[in-house]
Amino acid sequence: MTITIRTETREELTSLERVVLALQYKKPDRVPAAPLVCGASCRVLGYSYDRWSQDPKIAVASLLAAQELIGFDGFLTLVDLSVEAEDFGQELIFPERSTALPNFDNPFLKTADDYSKVKAVDPRKSRRMATVIEIVRGLVEAKGKEVPTMGFVYGPLGVLSQIRGHAELFKDIIRHPDRVLEAVYTINGSLVEYALAQIEAGAHAIVLDPLYSSASILKKSTWVKFEAEIFKSVADAIRGAGVPVLVHNCGGGVYFDAVLEHINPIAISHAYPAHGSANWEEHAANWAKKVVTIGVADPAKVGHEFNQAQVLEDCRQQIETFKVAEGGFILSSGCEFPPNGNLLSARTMVQAAKLYGRY
Amino acid sequence: MSAEQQELFERLAIAVFELDEELAKKLSQEVLDRGYDAWNAVEFGLLAGVNRAGKLFDEEEYFVPELLIAADAMYAGLAILRPHIKAHLTGFNRKVVIGVVQGDTHDIGKNLVRIMLEVAGFEVHDLGRDVPPQKFVDHAIAVKADVIALSTLMTTTMERMGEVVAILKAQNVRNRFKVIVGGSPLSQQFSDRIGADGYAPKAAQAVDLAKRLVGLVNAA
Repeated sequence: MTITIRTETREELTSLERVVLALQYKKPDRVPAAPLVCGASCRVLGYSYDRWSQDPKIAVASLLAAQELIGFDGFLTLVDLSVEAEDFGQELIFPERSTALPNFDNPFLKTADDYSKVKAVDPRKSRRMATVIEIVRGLVEAKGKEVPTMGFVYGPLGVLSQIRGHAELFKDIIRHPDRVLEAVYTINGSLVEYALAQIEAGAHAIVLDPLYSSASILKKSTWVKFEAEIFKSVADAIRGAGVPVLVHNCGGGVYFDAVLEHINPIAISHAYPAHGSANWEEHAANWAKKVVTIGVADPAKVGHEFNQAQVLEDCRQQIETFKVAEGGFILSSGCEFPPNGNLLSARTMVQAAKLYGRY
Repeated sequence: MSAEQQELFERLAIAVFELDEELAKKLSQEVLDRGYDAWNAVEFGLLAGVNRAGKLFDEEEYFVPELLIAADAMYAGLAILRPHIKAHLTGFNRKVVIGVVQGDTHDIGKNLVRIMLEVAGFEVHDLGRDVPPQKFVDHAIAVKADVIALSTLMTTTMERMGEVVAILKAQNVRNRFKVIVGGSPLSQQFSDRIGADGYAPKAAQAVDLAKRLVGLVNAA
C-alpha cells in the first residue's frame, strides 16, 4: 500500500505569476513574500561568504537551495554594494563570513584630483559585474519560468562613494561639484550597459538602488542634481528593453516624490516610511496606491531579535497596514535579510504571507 | 568679555556655520594675535558654530555634507587654538573611545557622534572604522576611558559589538566602562541582548546617553 502524505498546500499560482500580478496592482492568490535573502543563502549549502560572492556557480546553487528551503517568491541578485566599485578600480576586502567591503585605507580616488581616473568599464568583461550577470543567467535558466529574478544595479553616486569614501565624496559634492558630476556621468554610462547585460541574461526586472535619495543623507535637490537626473537614463534603458524598473533604498526618509519623478519605478523596496510620513499608516495612506510597496520588515529585528511568533505577528501587521494597497504589496525585509540572520525567520515570513495574506 | 571679543567669536561661529574653513583658520589665528582666551574662542566661536550647523541638520536644512564640512572648519580652527587652551578649562575630563566595529567601513554616523561628543566636552579617542573588538578594549584600558561607543550600519557586523562586551567581561573589566551602541540596524532590544549599557537611535541622543551614563546629565 502506498500512502501519500501532503506536506504543504499546493498554491494556485507560481511565484512569477504572483509577483507579476502584485506589480500590476492585481490581487494574486496571496501576498507575495520575498525576504531579500541574498548573502544569507551561502549558509544553506555551507559555503563561505567570500566564495559565494565571487563564484557565480556557488551563488546560483546557494540561492536555488535557499529558495527551495524558504519558498520565497523572488530572487534578488544583490551580492554586495562593492560589486561595481571593484570593477572601477577599488581594492576590496573579502571577509570569510561577511559582506565584501572597500579597503578605504587604499581608496581608488585618494584626492579630489583623482576623479578623472574614473573610466568607463565594460561590465560584460569585468570581474564582479560579470559575476552578477552570470548569477542572473544561472537563476533564470534554472527557475525562470517559476520564480522571478530581479537584477540589481547600485546607483552611480553610491558606486562613487565606494571608490572615494563616503565622507570624502559628500564633502566633494560641495567643494568640487563638477569633478563629482563628471565621474557620476562616466559611471552611469557603464551602469546602463550593466543593466542591459542583466536583462540579456534573462532578468525579469531590474532593481536600481539610489541609496542617497534619502533625507538622512542628502538634500533632495542635491540628490536630484548629482544622481537622479543622470541615473534616469539607466531606468529609461531598462524600460526601453521592455523590462520593469524597481527601486530599493533602505535609507531613512526616502524622497518618494523625487524617486517617482526621476526614476519612475513601478515598485519601491524600502525599510522606513517615506520622507514626510510619520509612520507606516501615514506612509501607506500617502504612497501605497501610487507605487507598489516591497517591504517593510526591519531586517535586524526579523533576522536577529524576533522569535518566530513575533515574526508572524510583525508580518501580519504589515499585511494589515498595506491592505490599502489593493494588491500592490510584496512582503519583504526592508533591506537585505541579514546574511548571518536566522533563516527560519525568512521561512516564517513566507508562512505569514500564506496565513494572513490570502486575497 | 569685551564687545570686540564677542564680535570676533561670533564671526568665528559664522565661519564654521557657513562652512568657510579658511576663514575659520584665519579668525582663530586672529584670536591668538589679539591675545584673547583660546578656550572662549572655542566655546563661543567654533563650538557655537558647529552647534548651529547641528540644529539645522536636525531641522533638515543642513544634511550630511554640510555638517561634515562645518566639522572640518571647526577642527581646522581647533588645531590652531588647542595648543593655547589651559587643560583645566576644556571640560569635565570624561573620555570616550569610539569606532566602527570590524567588518564595517561606514563611518559617517560615528563621525557625527564624535563631533557632537567633542562639542559636548568629552575627550574622544577615535579608533576609526573596521576596528577589531580587542582593540576597543585595549585602547579603553590604556586611556582609562569612561565610555566605549560602538557603531555599525550593517547587520553582518552587529555581533562584533557583543564580542566587545564579552571581552570586557572575560578580562574582568566590564564594570570600568559604559558601553553604548548605535547604528541603523540596531535597537534597544539588541543592546539589551548583548549587555550594552545603552542604545541611541540618533547622534544627538548618543551624547545625552553618554552624559547620563557618566553622571553628567546636567553638564553643559
